[in-house]
Amino acid sequence: MSRHKHHQPCRELHVVVLGAGGVGKSCLTAQFVHNEWIESYDPTIEDTYRTQLQVDGRQVVLEILDTAGTEQFVAMRDLYMKSGQGFILVFSITSSSSMSEIEMLREEITRIKDDENVPIVIVGNKADLEDQRSVPRQRAFACSQSWNAPYYETSARTRTNVNAVFIDICRQLLLRDEKYGDLDRLSDDRDYDKDGIMGLGKRKKRRTRRPDGNRCVIL
Amino acid sequence: MSSPATPNGSQQDLADEQPQAPPVFHNFLRAFYPFHPSYSVSDSSVTLPLSEGDVILVHSIHTNGWADGTLLLTGARGWLPTNYCEAYDPEEMRNLLKALLNFWDLLRSTSVNDSEIFGNQEFMKGIIAGVRCLLERTDCLTRESAIIQRHEGLRRGRKSLLSELSSLVKTAKRLQETQRGMLHSAEDVNDIVDEMILKAFRIVTKGVRFLDVLEEDRSLRAPAAVTVMDTVVEESHVPPTPPADLMGFEEQSNASDVSSRADASQASSDLVLPCMSDVAHAANAPVNKRLSSITTMSASPTSHRLSQNINRLSGISHRVSLAGPPPLSRPQHLVSERLNKSHDAFLSHLGSFIGRLHLQSQSRPELAFAIKLTATSGGDLLAVIDVVCSNTSSSDMLPRARDSMFDRIQDLVSSAGQIIHDAASQEEDVIMQQDNGVLLLAATGCVKAAGECVAKTKWVIERVGDFECEVESGSLGIDLSVLDVPFERRPSVATSVAGSTASQATSVAGSCRTVESCSSGVQRLRTSSTDKPLPELPQVTSPVVDETPDLPPQQESPPNTRPSSLLHDESLSSTVSSVSSLRPTLPPLPKLSTSLLPGEDYSPVEKANQDTDFQSSFQSEPGTVSSAGSSATYHSRDSESSLVSQTSTRATTPDHTMGPKNKPSMSELSNGGSSTQAEEVDDVECKLLEKTYAYELMFNKEGQVTGGSIPALVERLTTHESTPDATFVSTFYLTFRLFCTPVQLAEALIDRFDYVVESPHMAAPVRLRVYNAFKGWLETHWRDETDREALDLIEPFAEHKLSSALPSAGRRLLELAQRVSSEGSLVPRNVSSMGKTNTSIAQYVPAETPHPAVSLSRSQVNALQGWKNGGTMPSVLDFEPLELARQLTVKQMTIFCAILPEELLASEWMKKGGVGAPNVKAMTAFSTDLSNLVAETILQHSEVKKRATVIKQWIKIAHQCFELHNYDGLMAIICSLNSSTISRLRKTWDMVSPKRRDMLRQLQAVVEPSQNNKVLRGRLHDHVPPCLPFLGMYLTDLTFVDIGNPATKQLQSAGCGDGAEENGAGGRTVVNFDKHTRTAKIIGELQRFQIPYRLTEVPELQEWLEAQVVGVRDGDQGNVQVSYYRKSLLLEPREAAPRTPIEGPSGGSGQRTGDLFGWMTRDRGIAPVMV
Ligand SMILES: Nc1nc2c(ncn2[C@@H]2O[C@H](COP(=O)(O)OP(=O)(O)OP(=O)(O)O)[C@@H](O)[C@H]2O)c(=O)[nH]1
Ligand SMILES: [Mg+2]
Repeated sequence: MSRHKHHQPCRELHVVVLGAGGVGKSCLTAQFVHNEWIESYDPTIEDTYRTQLQVDGRQVVLEILDTAGTEQFVAMRDLYMKSGQGFILVFSITSSSSMSEIEMLREEITRIKDDENVPIVIVGNKADLEDQRSVPRQRAFACSQSWNAPYYETSARTRTNVNAVFIDICRQLLLRDEKYGDLDRLSDDRDYDKDGIMGLGKRKKRRTRRPDGNRCVIL
Repeated sequence: MSSPATPNGSQQDLADEQPQAPPVFHNFLRAFYPFHPSYSVSDSSVTLPLSEGDVILVHSIHTNGWADGTLLLTGARGWLPTNYCEAYDPEEMRNLLKALLNFWDLLRSTSVNDSEIFGNQEFMKGIIAGVRCLLERTDCLTRESAIIQRHEGLRRGRKSLLSELSSLVKTAKRLQETQRGMLHSAEDVNDIVDEMILKAFRIVTKGVRFLDVLEEDRSLRAPAAVTVMDTVVEESHVPPTPPADLMGFEEQSNASDVSSRADASQASSDLVLPCMSDVAHAANAPVNKRLSSITTMSASPTSHRLSQNINRLSGISHRVSLAGPPPLSRPQHLVSERLNKSHDAFLSHLGSFIGRLHLQSQSRPELAFAIKLTATSGGDLLAVIDVVCSNTSSSDMLPRARDSMFDRIQDLVSSAGQIIHDAASQEEDVIMQQDNGVLLLAATGCVKAAGECVAKTKWVIERVGDFECEVESGSLGIDLSVLDVPFERRPSVATSVAGSTASQATSVAGSCRTVESCSSGVQRLRTSSTDKPLPELPQVTSPVVDETPDLPPQQESPPNTRPSSLLHDESLSSTVSSVSSLRPTLPPLPKLSTSLLPGEDYSPVEKANQDTDFQSSFQSEPGTVSSAGSSATYHSRDSESSLVSQTSTRATTPDHTMGPKNKPSMSELSNGGSSTQAEEVDDVECKLLEKTYAYELMFNKEGQVTGGSIPALVERLTTHESTPDATFVSTFYLTFRLFCTPVQLAEALIDRFDYVVESPHMAAPVRLRVYNAFKGWLETHWRDETDREALDLIEPFAEHKLSSALPSAGRRLLELAQRVSSEGSLVPRNVSSMGKTNTSIAQYVPAETPHPAVSLSRSQVNALQGWKNGGTMPSVLDFEPLELARQLTVKQMTIFCAILPEELLASEWMKKGGVGAPNVKAMTAFSTDLSNLVAETILQHSEVKKRATVIKQWIKIAHQCFELHNYDGLMAIICSLNSSTISRLRKTWDMVSPKRRDMLRQLQAVVEPSQNNKVLRGRLHDHVPPCLPFLGMYLTDLTFVDIGNPATKQLQSAGCGDGAEENGAGGRTVVNFDKHTRTAKIIGELQRFQIPYRLTEVPELQEWLEAQVVGVRDGDQGNVQVSYYRKSLLLEPREAAPRTPIEGPSGGSGQRTGDLFGWMTRDRGIAPVMV
């Protein structure tokens, strides 16, 4: 029917992937959404992807905004920071300047959102290139600690930890929902990893109180 | 909207209505005479005092001429006499006024927690564009413009307007922030929304004032022309400039009676609006109080939003958008609502009918019944349309559409009647397949005609205003008795159903209920209208204004003629119940003072005294409108008024001797400006200078784009101020070829790239997005066949314009263009490579769910092997139902996944034998084959027992399909089993165990097409893939959207200056984007399931399956259905007393109707020859 009511898809989450040019944002997104590996490099302007997934038994629609990292295309970053709900900050473990970039991005986000607790996941990509590592793990760990955001080392090439990153950000957003909506559901912690992807013990509590030494996931 | 020329002209418009010129609902009125009711206000309603020049947003107009409106000046809402007002719609203001309407509708109807709407600032664009348009049309866009430079008053007026705008922008930002960040912010969102509405009002008020000043300036500068003025003015549609300035009035009356006037302020107060900063705190509070006091009076204690505070009466015409959610309106009585409901009902009957037609057996009684339901609901729809027709005689556009819809229904009924007669005369129980073709054509014709007719009706309703009405479900005027021959002679739908199946009985019961509730609704309404005569209306005890005995007749109580012509033309339609019984006994409108007539002497003192009376009684009422809010600011108005000349604007203006003429106070105009920081105003100014097509966009209340011109849509696609709207972008890419050529799109994008330079602050993001739009197009949405010609534009653009602005982007786009030009398209646009800005929502499938083990025994493998080596072919009984269902599913899913979105557009699969939709065709062909295979395998056995075994096997296979969520396969098998060819084999079915039959019954329930596949839709609702939905359902939906919605819409009263408006060309014609959004949504739903099953394909079984299907297809000479039916008759000849062999919920007992999807392969509009 022309006016037939289509269902409202479940919860919609808006996540923005940010990071320097060439660190692998698009590759991570393509791996997650389409199980595809892209060898070639084509600087992004902005692309949106929608995908539906289950997080802790809840169906959510995840809208991923893949953004530009290259200098000349970053005109809309402020906009993304304003409208995004959660952020995946990607650097490449082979480039220390890309690490500095996300430190700057984090600062921008908290400034624009005026919120220290914006859901963020830190991602060190290209973990398959361990031999070219130039960002020591310690540095990433330190960020993770001080920002109270989980850190994952991923490889878009080998699909390592790709799912874990996106599921983590979804979970953070859902928990944030609950925290504001339904506080007693916070205790409802479930182990996820049903899908057999890597992902070591992550906790689901919001990074509110206790500092957490266990939030970093590496290979 | 037609633009009323002068107060004289528009007064006539309201007062002196000629019967052949139907009333137009004016959204804005302007008081040309003050109205100060002196009677006390009853506890259920509020009248709105007016000052001359006040502009009112009208929500509804009662038949007696009272209008429910909101005074822009204060935000106060109440009843006001329309005969004191004239339509206000000057061309310069049109876009702004229209934007205000949208703004109001959006803000008042949106749930305040809808962060999606407030999250982006899209809803602000209309207002900004409206202000821009006003300034542009008055040549005052830039500060440097000559008029502005010359005229100090205008300069300040402009600045003040801009500062109001900037203030609104700021509040909108605050709302956005409240929404985004702190969900539990202390600040009540409702308050912010109220504040925003008031600010928007204020912007319009300033705009009105600005235009007044400008008009005055114009007339001053052409003093010689004064005598000629009136004619000139009238003819050139220069907007009215009634003596608007209360300031001046104030000044004069100061002399005579200062104190009374001062108290009367709230009505006439105005211009000095509280400056933005303190609106929220100081001024807003009393205003809100006022609003909520109205709310309380109209018995809605729940909310104090501006939106919700008034009851409505029958016999009122409304602004169309009021048909929405305001809780106190009775939308079910509004004609727009009735229209929607009856259209929905009609479509849903047609949908079910079409569903049965191509899926299932149709016996004659069933057909007759379905047609009756359809025709009856069509009649109901026509009845509503007739009501609207009778209220507008402006053109024959609507009657023509109505007639054509009537004709289509008549076609449907008579085709069906013919078919039923033929079948009866041949003593056939069945409807032959070529007949189905005829019926389908007739049914889709109905969908289309209804779509067009409803669209036109809506347009008319918008023009004349929505109104409440009673519609008796009408006698259609089509003789449905043709359908009754020969098994049923009585015309009544209800009785003809008596013998029908349970499900039908229910649906009839349902429809009876509707009718019932409808008529009881009428009764209730009638009773209540007598019991409790319209408490909402003011109890007018005495005329307000001095009466002068010798009024010209047409001014006696002018508006009465208007509404009665609106609602009271019994001769026109028998289906309109007499409105007179519903007409409330309203007080007569207060009579206009003859002081309006030139030369009449009027004493301001007298007037003022009355005002005082009014004022005191008014203010002593605790529940009434309070003037406290604005009187505080009232006194600050008079500082600079003497600067302004006292000359009357126009010689023709009715001489308001009691009041001074137009003298806008410049202090008011500048007042707001001084309180805002200059930079903010600059900021807004900057925004204003943006060239934009925003006023050519239409939104719905959810904030989605529903229509727009191509430049406006492209502008939206490349907007600089929000993150991309995934739905919009994907819909655009998917469907743009339906509303523009690729070359046009390229041109529009390039144009966008060019004109944005005028606005440096947004050039960077917009240009990136233009580049990205091209990039996305070439990379993922390119269609070589159609798009190639656009390369001639894209390549030079990339090479030159883009390269010079963004070198790397230019290079990349050129490279892409060269690649598509050599390779056709870059990626095979099949499912796996989709994703970027796509309609589909990919489903994340957890990695590596193991495939289940193949269920194939050694001996089965051997049997297949033997067959391949020339042995006998194993039969369907030789394999596990589970494995057969899996292999079927794999096969179907492969085809399903290959369906490209463009195959689903524009009913492609029904055109030219479906060449444009190969995979859709393949899918439907396979389903048909599968159905035939079921029949074939059953009918090939002459032993009853054998046949029963095969039936059982298919039931089990169907069950396994169901378990696998393969609804397409399930549907094909069940259809075949339901067909009369199979279902009539009573002896065979007797041998099928009750358990299996029960299983079948449950499966039948799942795919039951009644109520438009309600059961199946429910299941698919949030089904997680893998799942193979029933394709036919999507195709039906897509067909309905495609043929049931016109391709274009009229942009109402926008587009600066399109005057022509009779015959439905009221505004610009723009793309009906809503249609495309719906299409994309359905396609997105379908794409959601384009994910392969994790099942192992067994090549040997696939081969066998293919061979089986091919076998059936080869045997298909001519009409396979007929031969199956004959075979069935041979196997089990007709019994003397036929009875239904199996009772399924669908209860079929007619011949199966052949090629399941044969209807889809026909060209629309061509003679119904089945392929
Ligand atoms: N070895 C390795 N290479 C990777 C990995 N991820 C991405 N790359 C490569 O890095 C290059 C850039 O990847 P993209 O995903 O396009 O980078 P991006 O972050 O999207 O870049 P911008 O869109 O310009 O911001 C590509 O050539 C990828 O093949 C990874 O995990 N391992
Ligand atoms: Mg990228």
